[in-house]
Amino acid sequence: MKFMLMHVLEELPERASSPDQGPLGDWITEMSARGVILDGAQLRGVEDATSVRSTDGDGVVLDGPFAETKEQIAGFDLIEAADLAEAISVAAAHPTLRTGAIEVRPLAPGMPTPAVTDPKPGKQRYLMFVCWDQTGDPEIADAGEDEDEDEWIERWIAETGERRLHGWQLQPPSLAHVVRNVNGEVVVTDGPFAETKEQIGGYDLLECADLDEAIGIATAHGDGLLELRPVRTT
Amino acid sequence: MSKGQVGADLVSEARPGRHDVMADELDPDDAIAGVFRAEWGRLVAGLIGWCGDWDLAEECAQEAFAAAVRSWPSDGTPDRPLAWLTTVARNRARDRIRRRTTEAAKLALLVATPEEEPMVLPEITDDRLRLIFTCCHPALPMPARIALTLRTLCGLTSAEIARAFLVTEPTMEKRLVRARAKIRNAGIPYRVPPPELLPERLSGVLAVLYLLFNEGYAPSSGDSVVRVDVTLESIRLTRMLRELMPDEDEVVGLLALMLLTDARRPARVRDGQVVLLGEQDRSRWSTAAIDEGAALLSGLTDAVGPYQVQARVALIHDRASSSEDTDWAAIANLYRLLPSTPITELNRAVAVAMVDGPRAGLDLIEPLAADLAAYYLYFATRADFEARLGLAEAAGADLDRAIELAPTSPERHLLQERRAALA
Repeated sequence: MKFMLMHVLEELPERASSPDQGPLGDWITEMSARGVILDGAQLRGVEDATSVRSTDGDGVVLDGPFAETKEQIAGFDLIEAADLAEAISVAAAHPTLRTGAIEVRPLAPGMPTPAVTDPKPGKQRYLMFVCWDQTGDPEIADAGEDEDEDEWIERWIAETGERRLHGWQLQPPSLAHVVRNVNGEVVVTDGPFAETKEQIGGYDLLECADLDEAIGIATAHGDGLLELRPVRTT
Repeated sequence: MSKGQVGADLVSEARPGRHDVMADELDPDDAIAGVFRAEWGRLVAGLIGWCGDWDLAEECAQEAFAAAVRSWPSDGTPDRPLAWLTTVARNRARDRIRRRTTEAAKLALLVATPEEEPMVLPEITDDRLRLIFTCCHPALPMPARIALTLRTLCGLTSAEIARAFLVTEPTMEKRLVRARAKIRNAGIPYRVPPPELLPERLSGVLAVLYLLFNEGYAPSSGDSVVRVDVTLESIRLTRMLRELMPDEDEVVGLLALMLLTDARRPARVRDGQVVLLGEQDRSRWSTAAIDEGAALLSGLTDAVGPYQVQARVALIHDRASSSEDTDWAAIANLYRLLPSTPITELNRAVAVAMVDGPRAGLDLIEPLAADLAAYYLYFATRADFEARLGLAEAAGADLDRAIELAPTSPERHLLQERRAALA
């Protein structure tokens, strides 16, 4: 099973943590050896976020994140785990828990294992959160059972081409868990990290020449509220 | 010392009176101030295009002007001030880049070795259009767009901008730092948008300029009636945009609207208080500004964008000798051409009431009550219609509400006077 780990912090550090050393380096080394990590990145903060409200191919550009929340997403890891219990234990071992929390969200079934590439020079990566109001959305048993939706999303994926590195739908927020460290104890709670009207329901990792290109891709997505968050390079 | 014109080949022809001033007839400080006004935006825009670093570009532009202040009084103003400033600023930038050892690799391309350095003057490209589109990018919060435009294109200091927008200087400084950081971090491109994005992005730029104009002409808060500097900067920027995009009708329309509105400024304030259009001393209106605005409109085809329509409304007011003499029917028709919003409907109702009477106006604004429940001019307008219908009690209650909601003390004062006159 694949899971998205969303690292949430109240305040983002000035600089990105080094993935090569320290506690983060240790976690990456261990989880890579176990074959758990598929991809991951640290993100720039909400003040560098741009959103697009896309309706039938028309987009309105908004100058901030999809929702104002106390904690904000500082990075993500895409992992492969046997089950929820293993995913939670992987999250519980992450150094993010020293200062923040991790939302563990299963991905919809059927996602192929993404090919991970080095960033192309001169390009900027953006993590695009696809958000909508998911009140009452059921668990996804089989991704792509809606044929109309399938056709439309496939067209968008084809048009986006190589600029989309990977992406998939997430299970609804009702299946999310948040892992925290409370006074030295790992505490797991049900639900997403923040109760917002619109919730993250999918993601795409994009590699673009600039923000306008990413806005164009988000607008062409055609439906929903899409947040574009620059990936940190250093 | 040169007897040549001050950068005649560089300063645009659209600034009458400036390019034909002899450099050595001016006080050197004034010469530098004039060059600063004329060339700051172009200098910064060119430097950003050259090095891609907003902070570095601005710092080095400032240092270049500081160098000018030191050397021009004794050495004379150079023939081509912009080229001189650009050379000095680029040299400063190269020095700084050399010193930044950690980032040297990233910007290595810029650091030409001395023997490779061309001894000719740098080519000056006009990057101001790229600059204004980037400053007004929709991914930046509106206050940041305004601050960045005033700072990088007009050369206002953060202290000046802070004063104009009633925030502290550190707050404004932070806003500017944050805006530049987002341009860098989020990958906002430094360019004129491609054709498919241009209409939308241009209307975004015009919205920023119009907001700036309105903020100067009718501040949304504070105690002053107008902020002349902000108004004049917005007109200057719109002139610049028109020079750079001469074929865009809405740019012309916006410039006309600004000029035709600003023409009334001398009569809009008396003893620190707002004077309503109908009571203004029309002999004090600027005929030069009205003529210029009218000429701009007469050059346009009939394609009607919202700024052009509003400019035509302003022109009807400007050409009328009194409120009674105004062609209100034509104004009411022009308002029909605007996208229907509660505010345009309110304005249309005022015009309709002048033609068909206050009852017609009242009927038109009735459906707007919910949308404009927090807008002081809705209640002021309704009070006016009610007063004309002899409904003094209702008018008084609406004026009280308008007074509560009025954003500035001069507006409040005006409404209080009307309230007193009613009773």
